[in-house]
Amino acid sequence: MSSRTVLWVGFGSLLALMIVIASSANRTLERIEASNVGIRQEFLRRDAILDRLRSDLYRSSIDVRDYLLNTDPQLAERRRAEVLKTENEMAAALQQYRRNLPPEESAAVDELLRDLNSYFSAVEPVLHWDAETRRRRGGAFIGGQMLPRHQQLVQLAERISQIDTRQLEVGESSLARVFVDFRRELVLTAVLTILFGLALAFLSVARVQALERESQARYQEVVLAREELHRLSARLVSAQEEERRKLSRELHDEVGQAMSALLVELGNLASVLPADNDALHRRVQAVRKLAESNVGVVRNMALLLRPSMLDDLGLVPALNWQAREVARRTGTKVRVEAEDVADDLPDEYRTCIYRVVQEALHNATRHAKAATVKVTVRREQAAVRVVIQDDGVGFDPRHGKGVGILGMEERVRHLAGVFKVESAPGRGTTISIFLPLKKPTL
Amino acid sequence: MSRIRILLADDHTVMRTGLRLVLERQPDFEVVAEASDGRQAVALAQQHLPEVVVMDIGMPNLNGIEASRQLTAALPQTSIVILSMHSDESYVLRALKAGARGYLLKESAEPDLIAAVRAVHAGKAFFSPAVSRMLVEDYVRQLQDREIEDSYELLTNREREILQLIAEGKSNKEMAAMLNLSLYTVETHRGNLMEKLNLHTVPELIMYAVRKGVIS
Repeated sequence: MSSRTVLWVGFGSLLALMIVIASSANRTLERIEASNVGIRQEFLRRDAILDRLRSDLYRSSIDVRDYLLNTDPQLAERRRAEVLKTENEMAAALQQYRRNLPPEESAAVDELLRDLNSYFSAVEPVLHWDAETRRRRGGAFIGGQMLPRHQQLVQLAERISQIDTRQLEVGESSLARVFVDFRRELVLTAVLTILFGLALAFLSVARVQALERESQARYQEVVLAREELHRLSARLVSAQEEERRKLSRELHDEVGQAMSALLVELGNLASVLPADNDALHRRVQAVRKLAESNVGVVRNMALLLRPSMLDDLGLVPALNWQAREVARRTGTKVRVEAEDVADDLPDEYRTCIYRVVQEALHNATRHAKAATVKVTVRREQAAVRVVIQDDGVGFDPRHGKGVGILGMEERVRHLAGVFKVESAPGRGTTISIFLPLKKPTL
Repeated sequence: MSRIRILLADDHTVMRTGLRLVLERQPDFEVVAEASDGRQAVALAQQHLPEVVVMDIGMPNLNGIEASRQLTAALPQTSIVILSMHSDESYVLRALKAGARGYLLKESAEPDLIAAVRAVHAGKAFFSPAVSRMLVEDYVRQLQDREIEDSYELLTNREREILQLIAEGKSNKEMAAMLNLSLYTVETHRGNLMEKLNLHTVPELIMYAVRKGVIS
């Protein structure tokens, strides 16, 4: 799997993780909120019912007492109806209270129900007493029977209320526990996310560094390859030059000399031939002509390969010869101005300058159709400066740098020199080279 | 009739043999020694004291130019004919500066050698016709290229006469006798013409004379 895929997957899942965590945290918070509200509502509902029971109890107690103490039969009958109605209401309220009853409360509530029933069972016969009986036994019933039962019921209601309050506290503390759990979980996932993110960041940094190292290595390779190429081309150029020098010498000294000796011998041969044998003389003369033209061919080949002046006489005579040759061949006027150029220039510098001038003259006459070319060679402190200026058609150096110009540039660069071409269409061409005379340490 | 004593120096045996044959067809020529390199040529010349040395330019040990320089210094009376494969004026001027007065292309050595030996023996300069032709042509082209005035036009008739005599190898004293002038007058003419032509040495004067066709 590529590192790019790893990074995509990594950062994608990090983002997804963060979204999941956020939404689940939100849901948990909502749940906590809802259950908190539920617990409180349930508590309030029970509390309200208990309150109602308590007040109903008081009311019924008061009604019973009024019933017992009242002598007016009509009023007594109303109280009796009230008591019965309250009894029914309390039964209904208690029934309501038993809904959703937590198990902790059921015993107390059952007890309350029992006591309440027994309270009303005790009250029930009293409600059928006549006025006389009420007057006689009423006080005793209130003090001996009703009040203690009433007291007990109130205490029971109080106990249930306490249980309810405890229930509320239990609910709240369990909620608090849930909240603590939730916070722990949140912190844990946050830490995990951070760790995951850090791991991802380390991975990315490592990958980027690896890529950087790789590209650095590639660049180094390219640089080395280019240097190697330059070295090779320098060696190629110098090997070619050496080969040309050898060939030129060989042609000149061996073939040329042998042909010249042949010519001399032909002359000698002709001188001993009978003077009246015209046919023979003509044959010898024809052979002579052939040999002479061969000497010319050999000499031109040798000069083209590498002019002997460059090695025998030095740079300036070679340049002068080249200028005369170009003028002879093409009619272009070539002027060489060389000042203070001693013939002690090292061979590679002589060769470089000569070849650059040769190429420049070739371009000036062949492509630029120049009428005049000026070649200036000047020796400076520890350098040689050469300028070749023509009045030809010129060109745009940004577009077409021919192989010839690249070759010149390459030769100059091998000697750690500076090569410059200035030209524009219709403005002629100026080639300048600057060669420092220190041997470059390659 | 005294014979012209000649030393022949060339590293090619075939060439030497051929040239010796050419020279010895002349009854008044005598090849007194043959050398196969420059050092040997100088040594043999000092031993045999030839009047003319015919010398190849490219020889091992000591090349023909250096050998000519040493010979001219040691034996100023000896005249030198250089044999060369090169027709370029740089080589010609170097040979002249080294003291040679004859410059022959090897390819035309056979027909021109006799004339060259006789010319330098008489103190005159001699160039292969191909060489003089090239010198003249290049000079004419240069004059046209630079559109400058030909300095030869500035010379008086007397100066032209003296230029020719110098180029032919005559000394001031000989010229004075030939022209019936005082030595002082000849020296003045010589100084004037060199100044007008902006030339400073006899070899340069000789080259100039060849280019102008004053001598061939």
